[in-house]
Amino acid sequence: MSEQFEPEIVAFVCTYCTYAGADLAGTSRLKYAPNVRIIRLPCTGRISPMFILKALQKGADGVLISGCHPGDCHFTHGNYHARRRWMVFRALLNFIGIPPERIKYSWISAAEGLKFADLINSITEDIRKLGPFEQYDKLIAETEAQASL
Amino acid sequence: MSIEQQYRTRAKELLSSGEVKMVIGYSKGSTPDRRRPAFISTPEDVETLVLDGACIANLSGYLVTEGLLSDEKRVAVFLRPEGIRAINILAAEFQLNAAQVEILGFNTEGNEPTALSGSKVDDFAELIGTLKGIIPDTAGEELYKKLEAMSPQERFDFWQSEFSKCIKCYACRQACPMCYCRRCIVDNNQPQWVNTSSHTLGNFEWNIVRAFHLSGRCVECGNCDRACPVNIPLRLINRKMAGEVLEAFDHFAGSSQTQEPVMASFKKDDTETFIL
Repeated sequence: MSEQFEPEIVAFVCTYCTYAGADLAGTSRLKYAPNVRIIRLPCTGRISPMFILKALQKGADGVLISGCHPGDCHFTHGNYHARRRWMVFRALLNFIGIPPERIKYSWISAAEGLKFADLINSITEDIRKLGPFEQYDKLIAETEAQASL
Repeated sequence: MSIEQQYRTRAKELLSSGEVKMVIGYSKGSTPDRRRPAFISTPEDVETLVLDGACIANLSGYLVTEGLLSDEKRVAVFLRPEGIRAINILAAEFQLNAAQVEILGFNTEGNEPTALSGSKVDDFAELIGTLKGIIPDTAGEELYKKLEAMSPQERFDFWQSEFSKCIKCYACRQACPMCYCRRCIVDNNQPQWVNTSSHTLGNFEWNIVRAFHLSGRCVECGNCDRACPVNIPLRLINRKMAGEVLEAFDHFAGSSQTQEPVMASFKKDDTETFIL
């Protein structure tokens, strides 16, 4: 039997809520799927769509973006701006043909360690079902190929 | 009197009275069906101005040329309704002072230009209100509908074949009145967000980021589409984004010069059906 596919998921999280939530999951000794690589940012408002594109290009099979619940932003409204941005960005990716199911969004507060662990487990399962992200493979090979003169 | 003659006279008046320092309009192009932008600053030269059905380019982008409006003098410009909306956006984003812009408004129905009454951007508020949600130019609508009906994978294949043609000349950026950044994201190399070579992957990055930066700002004048030397249907991506912000945030780009930019504002009850 072949080994099951282990997706690589990049999580962009805000330091005040979701990162603290992940920390709580750790200190509470909650076990969750080891497929996620966390990148800590000051705020979800700091997450540029370019981050998501770069992650997918560099081999991520899925991306998670997570921050404070609306109303709880450390900077008062960074997450409201981010929410609008994602709304539009999701539609754009869908129109370009990059499956939006690979990019997940969530609100996780510093107190929700359990939600964090559960979410990581469930999105890892989702992305595993979708299989590896291969749409870019041919394009990446093209950038690495020698130019034919 | 034809509208062309009428506007030539008006341009002459404006220039000779010193009310404006320049008139930006159209003149004959290199082929009979093309028009070239004209920058007229003496009353004698207004006779070279042309106004007919071939005058389709949106000239509003020339107004943000560095230093043009910094002497506080006024400039007159020939604009279609999309161009007038573009002025609203540029004013809302503090790129120009709308009071410095004298509008010579016109529309082209069929092949005949018709005059739009008004000279200041606010004079056209009512007209712009009636345009909300209407696609200015339905070119490519058939393809757009086809794309909408496709699966993401099919759309990806479509765009992959389109973007593989892109030569990264950035003509779309140059032609767009909204692309006024002195340093575009593609010119940044620390970090290098967008691959500089014209590989399909880099072309994807560029076209995605371009469309994203134009979402909620594009007036669908079609300048990018016409400028593209390899005929990528760029306006379809912008049309999608315009539809999206209209549906999600009831935002019609360029409605007024005090309209808040859609990506720089928010409502506490914005839709968030996709957030876990």
